[in-house]
Amino acid sequence: MNNQQRQGLSMLEIVFSVGILALIMLPVFMTFSSGNRNIMLTEGEFRAHTAALELMEQIVSLPFKQISTGEYADAEIINGGPFAAGPVLFKLTPAKDLWRELKIEDIKRDNKIVFKKVTVTIKFTATKNSDRVREFFMKTLVANENI
Amino acid sequence: MKIFKKNSAFTLVEILVVCGIATVFLATAIMLFTNFRRGFSRSEGTAILMQEGALFVARLRNDLNNAVLVPVIAGNDQAQLNSTPDRLSFSLYSSREAKALPVVYRYQASENGGSVFRREGNDNERVLIKDRVASLTWQTELERFVEPDSTSSGTVRLSIALDMQLEMQTGSEKPFLLKTSIFPARLNRQLNVP
Repeated sequence: MNNQQRQGLSMLEIVFSVGILALIMLPVFMTFSSGNRNIMLTEGEFRAHTAALELMEQIVSLPFKQISTGEYADAEIINGGPFAAGPVLFKLTPAKDLWRELKIEDIKRDNKIVFKKVTVTIKFTATKNSDRVREFFMKTLVANENI
Repeated sequence: MKIFKKNSAFTLVEILVVCGIATVFLATAIMLFTNFRRGFSRSEGTAILMQEGALFVARLRNDLNNAVLVPVIAGNDQAQLNSTPDRLSFSLYSSREAKALPVVYRYQASENGGSVFRREGNDNERVLIKDRVASLTWQTELERFVEPDSTSSGTVRLSIALDMQLEMQTGSEKPFLLKTSIFPARLNRQLNVP
């Protein structure tokens, strides 16, 4: 037997093997953290969806003639603030890191307004304290029940 | 003999160093895994709460959007939209039966987590959320908007302010909070018919 033959692993070999093992395990651990991040993203999307429905429903619930055509920026869509020229007031649940926009368009046929197209846009941060802003649209038509 | 001089075993220092390195690696790996496991478990609980809350709100919103006003019949106290701290009742137009059916949402508060039930018509009461409701309020609000100097009765708006908190019994998961207003479209249109 050769006495010079190595009996164990060198430190370099151990460091390399641990490094390779760490690289293999990294994606496994990443799946855990990406799962958490996805849940946070879903929560953000749910908040945006709820805010969009809240704004959309209160417009759609109004009598047709009260749904005033126009574009409304986030600064005009305030809880307790007037919708168009009033007298109807917005009723909105406060939400952080969330911006609303509202667009109402006429759809005419034979010079008569047959539908109002209501588009609600919600901009929201992807996750808490994130700079990434995402957008969410919701559109619906309101029929003129008077014709 | 020369054979006894051969370095055929580890020295105590080598074993101690290896044990030390192995301990550090193992401790780090176990700590990482435990943290990930705990985080995963918490996220899983949060996802379950979110899913249950979202399904409940979607159900309630859908019901309220199809709620209708029916003529008040003597003895029928479920004809209109009524809300008490533990009960929300209204009439829902059922396309299946082609008539309005009473729908009752019931909240049963409990220290270990409340539950929410729903009953439609003569069907059995069904559980929507079981033992996970930390708090729930549903309040009916009726507003009237009248133009200044107007002789008309104005625009009426009915809404239900919903405030809900869901929690797991273990309490380590992030609670699910939801605060919103629901505007029943059909009811509001009926209320504003000239």
